Amino acid sequence: MSAGIVSVLFVAAALVAAGAFAAAWRRDLSAALAGVPLMFAGAGVAFVGVARFGAAGGPQLFGQEFAVLLAVASLALVALGVGMAGRESSR
Amino acid sequence: MDSLHAIGFYVSSGVSVAGGLGVALLPRRDMRGASLLVVAIGVAGIYLALSAGFAAAVALVCYAGVAIALAGPRYRSIDIAVGPIWRQLGAVGAAALLALLAFSAFKGAFAHATFYGGTFGTAGIGRLLFEHDALAVEAVAALILVAFAGGAAAWRARDRTR
Repeated sequence: MSAGIVSVLFVAAALVAAGAFAAAWRRDLSAALAGVPLMFAGAGVAFVGVARFGAAGGPQLFGQEFAVLLAVASLALVALGVGMAGRESSR
Repeated sequence: MDSLHAIGFYVSSGVSVAGGLGVALLPRRDMRGASLLVVAIGVAGIYLALSAGFAAAVALVCYAGVAIALAGPRYRSIDIAVGPIWRQLGAVGAAALLALLAFSAFKGAFAHATFYGGTFGTAGIGRLLFEHDALAVEAVAALILVAFAGGAAAWRARDRTR
């Protein structure tokens, strides 16, 4: 049994599409916000997969580092979105 | 990739996709938060199977934080004034996106570890930013996180004092 870049990209596509569906389908804006980190997670999986299977010439850390930054950015985005939602609903 | 890592990858993939479907389909916010935590565990498992241990630890912490933020008591609900036709169009667009990405993934077997930088030199820029200066880039990312969270908190506090 083995896994390659095609398997990784399929999983990434499923995560991105689930996040896009959540962002488009939810009537509640805060619930739709949950789709954004899902899409970021899918993109991160794709980056790490390409770094693992598609990069040559020694350890290529670009994809891994970008996945890390995507995770941090998604946390910042959701924190900002939840804070702004609280501000809007208190009016 | 050996069999142990492959099994870990497929199990983690199933866990993460199941969690993603839960985030997209479950009705209550605490259940969605739990599903996002499942996604965090699955994505961390995928990263571990792909030999990205540091990224796995950071992703687990960050996506667990996202799950807590979305399931926590500060969550407020805001209805969007968008008609059902647009939501249905968005859902169809998500399905089309899945088909497009799946087709791209199916055609993605061309990568055979021979890429050294393309027309735009993105590999060289990435190597410069994320290998040699990785610590500085991550410090900037942490600064962005603190600035956004602090700005949102101050915004809310200012609004309450009015």
